[in-house]
Amino acid sequence: MAELLSQPFSWLNLIIMVSAGVVVLGVVLVFVMYAIYFERKVIGWMQLRNGPNRVGPWGLFQTVADVLKLMIKEDIVPAKADRFLFLIAPIIAYTPAFAIIAVIPFSENVFFADVNVGILYYGALSSISITGILLGGWASNNKYAIMGGMRSVAQMVSYEVPLIMSFLGVVLLTGSLNMKDIVAAQQDGMWFIIPQFLGFVIFLIAGNAELNRTPFDLPEAENELVAGYFVEYSGFRFAFFMLSEYVYIFALSSVMTVMFLGGWDAPFGLTFIPGGVWFALKFLLLVFYLFWARATFPRVKTQQLMGFAWKVLIPLALFNVMITALFKTISQAG
Amino acid sequence: MAVRTEEMLLNVGPQHPSTHGVFRLVVKVDGERITEAIPVVGYLHRGTEKLAEDLTYTQIIPYTDRLDYLSSMTNNYALVQAVETLMDLEIPERAEYLRVLAMELNRVASHLVWWGTNLLDLGAISPFLFAFRDREFIVNMLNELSGARLTFNYMRVGGVKWDAPEGWIKKVEEFVPYMREKLKDYHTLVTGNEIFLARVKNLAIYDDKEAIAYGMTGPVLRGSNVKFDVRKNQPYSIYDRFEFDIPVGETGDVYDRYMVRMNEMEQSLRIIEQAVAQFPEEGEIIAKVPKVIRPPEGEVYTRMESSKGELGVHLVSKKKDKPYRLKLRRPSFVNLQLLPKLLVGRTMADIPAVLGAIDIVLGEVDA
Amino acid sequence: MWGTGFFKGLGFILKQLKEKKITSQYPDEPVIMPDRFRGIQHFIPEKCIVCNQCAKICPTGCITLTGKPNPDPEKKGKVIDTYDINFELCILCDLCTEVCPTDAIVMTNNFELATYTRDNTLKDRIWLDKNNINVREENH
Repeated sequence: MAELLSQPFSWLNLIIMVSAGVVVLGVVLVFVMYAIYFERKVIGWMQLRNGPNRVGPWGLFQTVADVLKLMIKEDIVPAKADRFLFLIAPIIAYTPAFAIIAVIPFSENVFFADVNVGILYYGALSSISITGILLGGWASNNKYAIMGGMRSVAQMVSYEVPLIMSFLGVVLLTGSLNMKDIVAAQQDGMWFIIPQFLGFVIFLIAGNAELNRTPFDLPEAENELVAGYFVEYSGFRFAFFMLSEYVYIFALSSVMTVMFLGGWDAPFGLTFIPGGVWFALKFLLLVFYLFWARATFPRVKTQQLMGFAWKVLIPLALFNVMITALFKTISQAG
Repeated sequence: MAVRTEEMLLNVGPQHPSTHGVFRLVVKVDGERITEAIPVVGYLHRGTEKLAEDLTYTQIIPYTDRLDYLSSMTNNYALVQAVETLMDLEIPERAEYLRVLAMELNRVASHLVWWGTNLLDLGAISPFLFAFRDREFIVNMLNELSGARLTFNYMRVGGVKWDAPEGWIKKVEEFVPYMREKLKDYHTLVTGNEIFLARVKNLAIYDDKEAIAYGMTGPVLRGSNVKFDVRKNQPYSIYDRFEFDIPVGETGDVYDRYMVRMNEMEQSLRIIEQAVAQFPEEGEIIAKVPKVIRPPEGEVYTRMESSKGELGVHLVSKKKDKPYRLKLRRPSFVNLQLLPKLLVGRTMADIPAVLGAIDIVLGEVDA
Repeated sequence: MWGTGFFKGLGFILKQLKEKKITSQYPDEPVIMPDRFRGIQHFIPEKCIVCNQCAKICPTGCITLTGKPNPDPEKKGKVIDTYDINFELCILCDLCTEVCPTDAIVMTNNFELATYTRDNTLKDRIWLDKNNINVREENH
């Protein structure tokens, strides 16, 4: 994969690259469909229900049916909406979500771009999505939607900071922003969840907030704002917002796996199981946590959310960076 | 360039997920902050009071089922209590016990729905399912007793319609420890949760004076540290035979109202336990009442403690088989009056929390 | 301690995974209602004496009935001619069966009333007569 990028341009290479992109898109779509299925099943079981069980065996085709339904639904644009912005908002929200996947290494050999500033790239792109959400809320010309959009921005502005700062501990320990190097560093030593536990917790909370999921699902808080920023969206434009939300789950859980759980590194020397499987297992554990939290927690308020970010998470993240730097200096000196 | 902001008028409801029915709240918001809130009620108005003037006393009972449809038993009782007081009827012992059992079970069921929906308003999705699982037991028991799951139409002037079926008392007895166990689980899941506490503590505080001035009753009054419960202060039916406490809150915030209701469920279970123990072996279930009920001329105001507060019935009789005037004092409606004051200065996110803590049922607000 | 509530809640929710599911498989498995359940009425024309009590007691006025003179000239009184219950209005309150002196109208445990048109909600005496399964045993 990596050598493909360094080769000179040729039509064959282009076709390979495009088809690889399409394959990834397919994988992501299947993941999203089954993530939604998994979420509904897990939350169903936690709430003593059966979850989807009508379409296909054990309801396996439920989300397929849902997606199909969304695709063939009428694409409604409200008369008083800002038409252009309304139409492109879901695309703006989705594109960066998909582009993030490029830098995530899934195992030693399966990755798409070996970028030296991988983490920075992740942080930069993930904050573009919010523009789409804000635009969607604004362009809908709906009071609930604009409130949802504003909340979303406020939330993102607050949580981007601790999220990026929680990376810093890991970056300090490895001395690299490249995700492959980070995994390599964990393969040599221990997983960063142990020395960087505080960073892990901050990342988990801030990432949860960035995903707009319970308990931080304020932008779409259905009990106050009905559906928040996508209240006016229907059909496949709504599906795109939904899709970008779940692709972010995919991306964020992958990044966390890479940064804190050792990526494809096999624990206890169980190397006979391929790295991809280990990656998937760790990744699923994090996804499960997100669903689990959704079944448990009530939603926080905007003020509390922002207060928590600025007063608790950012100082903690700074503290984490300081301590890490201190230890690193001491250990290098000693 | 000067940044200009303006307030916007937002219609919350009548079709909104957390207004619990067709309640409309017109709020003026400055960003997220509410500067004015005007509740608009009446979307579910069916004119029960006026309809009652053209119905015989027995016919009104099914209509009362549909006021506060979550606790129909207490509504049934409120009406028959007024008629019985006017007629000066002696109610058989067994009927009284059946009434108390049914009413207390219904109170628990009503509070369970409140618990589930209030948490749903706060964004927690699971409690609703747990609450409904346990409510299902009560609903099934009341179904066995009265033949309906929601609109029981169980009480009659002078007694009750059905005697307890075989083994029913045993079921109620077994339900009490089960429910106690589940209440503990509820506390584990919700009451200790920090997000929940941050959302409800010190939210929408009003003191006892204000609560009394606005005529609030029920858990919303007791949450502000007023020890007033019609069951204790003016015992009706046979409530003077049972030992139970009136849970009260201290500060009068949403959390206190929450705790009052949770403790009330426990107290209701205590009453059920005692009623089961004292339940008379046999006896009549309905007093001797004439076939056509014609209460003597006069008027009467009776009150009782429903799950929402003091449910009063003012009945004017002209010695006809139909009431001359029936006035219902619906606690949900009265309790709602403080809402605009509570919401001003709060944010959008507090609307469902505050409204949910008042626990309104639109069927009762609009009657 | 601050923070324990989160873990208690998470632990409780995790424990629910092994609990019994409570979903009732309603359309697949019929719901068995207790005997007293107030479902759609069953009407027995032979027993009816056209006393009109059910129509009078009905709080919503959903029962309309007409009688005709007894075809048997030797017997006095009336027999039922038409008997309609409008299930758009009926609230299944049980009062009609409560007042019926001959148990001509009784409750059943059936409750499936969903139809595609409103016309179907008006049930006549033939339909009500045929609705004779799961009839309630105890009516007073």
